[in-house]
Amino acid sequence: MSAEIIMRRRSKQRRKERIWLPALYLAPTLLLMWAFDIYPIFLSAWMSLWRWGIKAEEFIGLDNYKRVFEDIGSGPGGATGEVGNSLLVTAFYVIGTVPVTIIIAFVIANMLNSKIRFSGILRTAYFVPYVTSTVAAGLAFVWLLNPQIGVLNSALESVGLPPQQWLLDPEPAAPKVLAALGIGWSESLPEFLEGPSVALVCVIAFSVWNSLGFAVVIILAGLITIDPQVKEAARMDGVNSWQMATRITMPLVSPTLFLLLIVSTISAFQSFNEVYVLTSGGGYGAGAGSPLDSTLTLPVLIFRHLYERPSSVGFAAALSMLLFVVVLGVVLLQFRLAERRVHYE
Amino acid sequence: MVLYTALIAGAMVMLFPFFWMVSSSLKTFQEVNLSPPTLLPTDPQWANYAEAWGSPPSGFGRYFFNSLVVAVVGTAIQLFTGIMAAYAFARLKFRFNNLLFMLVLATMMIPFETRIVPNYVLIRQIPLVGGNSIFGEGGSGLYDTYAGMILPGVASAFAVFLLRQAFMAVPRDYWDALRMDGASHWTFLWRVLIPMTMPAVLTVVLFGFIGRWNELLWPLIATQSESIRPVQLGLMLFSGDEGSLYHLLMAATTLVAVPGIIFFLFVQRRFIEGLTAFGVKG
Repeated sequence: MSAEIIMRRRSKQRRKERIWLPALYLAPTLLLMWAFDIYPIFLSAWMSLWRWGIKAEEFIGLDNYKRVFEDIGSGPGGATGEVGNSLLVTAFYVIGTVPVTIIIAFVIANMLNSKIRFSGILRTAYFVPYVTSTVAAGLAFVWLLNPQIGVLNSALESVGLPPQQWLLDPEPAAPKVLAALGIGWSESLPEFLEGPSVALVCVIAFSVWNSLGFAVVIILAGLITIDPQVKEAARMDGVNSWQMATRITMPLVSPTLFLLLIVSTISAFQSFNEVYVLTSGGGYGAGAGSPLDSTLTLPVLIFRHLYERPSSVGFAAALSMLLFVVVLGVVLLQFRLAERRVHYE
Repeated sequence: MVLYTALIAGAMVMLFPFFWMVSSSLKTFQEVNLSPPTLLPTDPQWANYAEAWGSPPSGFGRYFFNSLVVAVVGTAIQLFTGIMAAYAFARLKFRFNNLLFMLVLATMMIPFETRIVPNYVLIRQIPLVGGNSIFGEGGSGLYDTYAGMILPGVASAFAVFLLRQAFMAVPRDYWDALRMDGASHWTFLWRVLIPMTMPAVLTVVLFGFIGRWNELLWPLIATQSESIRPVQLGLMLFSGDEGSLYHLLMAATTLVAVPGIIFFLFVQRRFIEGLTAFGVKG
């Protein structure tokens, strides 16, 4: 056999290894991802230029986007239209869930990380809500919060506090709490400063409860990697527990916290199930976003246009592009702002 | 001591909704409407479960079966495609390896709801199924089918990521030794690599299964027949029909929640280890 033939065989073998084999192994995943994850972005962009029902009806250019921005800009305070309102509700929801969840989880994870018995069982207790379906857990919450016979109102009454409407209350929560404490609220302030409605606060509380276990486990994973000697040395130097948490532990787990921040932000922007189950009033969710649209997040608004309104699929596509851009923008912003403070070893 | 008190109090807050759900599900209609409520049912009504189970027109059995089909098939495809892709990214040398891997990871950034609108249109236009022509016109495609519920989202960047990390942790020597004996990549992958990375594989199975089992929005949009809808939708429908009968609603809710919780309790160590791997290496 001449050297030339051997060389040629080898190069054929190499071609097979370098091109055909990887292609074969990657094909199923890449095809599925292209078809249902990536191509849909382009399809969505295309659809958003149409009035679209079951199928394309009329090409209308940027009219859907014009509608989106006119809606956002309408009214005093810029937040009275359906889209503007949903952006505000989404912002309340994301700000209300993400930092609160991470802070509570950080505290709990630190407590669980100290040498205690039963930490496995306790960790499981915090994690169970996360694996339970949102529908089941959400309906259990609806029952707890029932205004007439719910156990929460019974508890309030037994300590002499007035019962609440909870998920049925569209009024802003903050002025109510302040009024109960004897502090007045100035009507002249912009409306968005009044913050989320009582109903939305309930949804936020549910979400924190629901996602806490996930955050605890992720932070615990970060804490376990910290060298105990570092903490020991700090303790010898007379560092108190507050300084320990903020100056020693926090910087050391900052890469984990940053990962958690990104993952929870992306998932908070996709909050559909929580709102849908808690506020629809039962059945297939005709009421999702109630009362008075005060829990109507952007994903729920997309659902409403896609599912319940005729010829509104193109508009839903425009809204979903808006959601895409907002999520991308916020995550990139987080990278820019937080990356510098994250301490990598 | 303070630590214990705080942690146990916290755990009780976390678990109270479940306790209350089960407690309410065992009460009579009269007792569940009492104010102030009783903490535990005076006379547990186990028959509530039978009544709730049979309450939807087709019974909950059908819904459970549908969920099982979607979760098992979906997880199987996710695992198989994920293993193949992860192997290529971890072990094969080719151009654009890193670039393609980044692209796969980037799909995690696309919000679910952004894909919902186009996918709703897309599954109706799959060619040659559901009465469609080769151009995807004329019929309903995969709308209102199991395949339509399963396919979008079956390729998971998270699964590929987790498996790739696990595959990369296995020393190269194993492959070099097998190669001497003339083994192919295929044999190496399924006979050597998979058994060695079983924890990661099981993690992917668990996440895939629980994720599928709990899915709500996509099945709602992709189907219209109650006969193929999964159990989460069955429970939503039930809450609309019997929403004021809280003892029955809580019985149905318990029926839907408990299998998942028991499943989780059996496999929890592995599940949490899987998340841990994700946290440390991400």
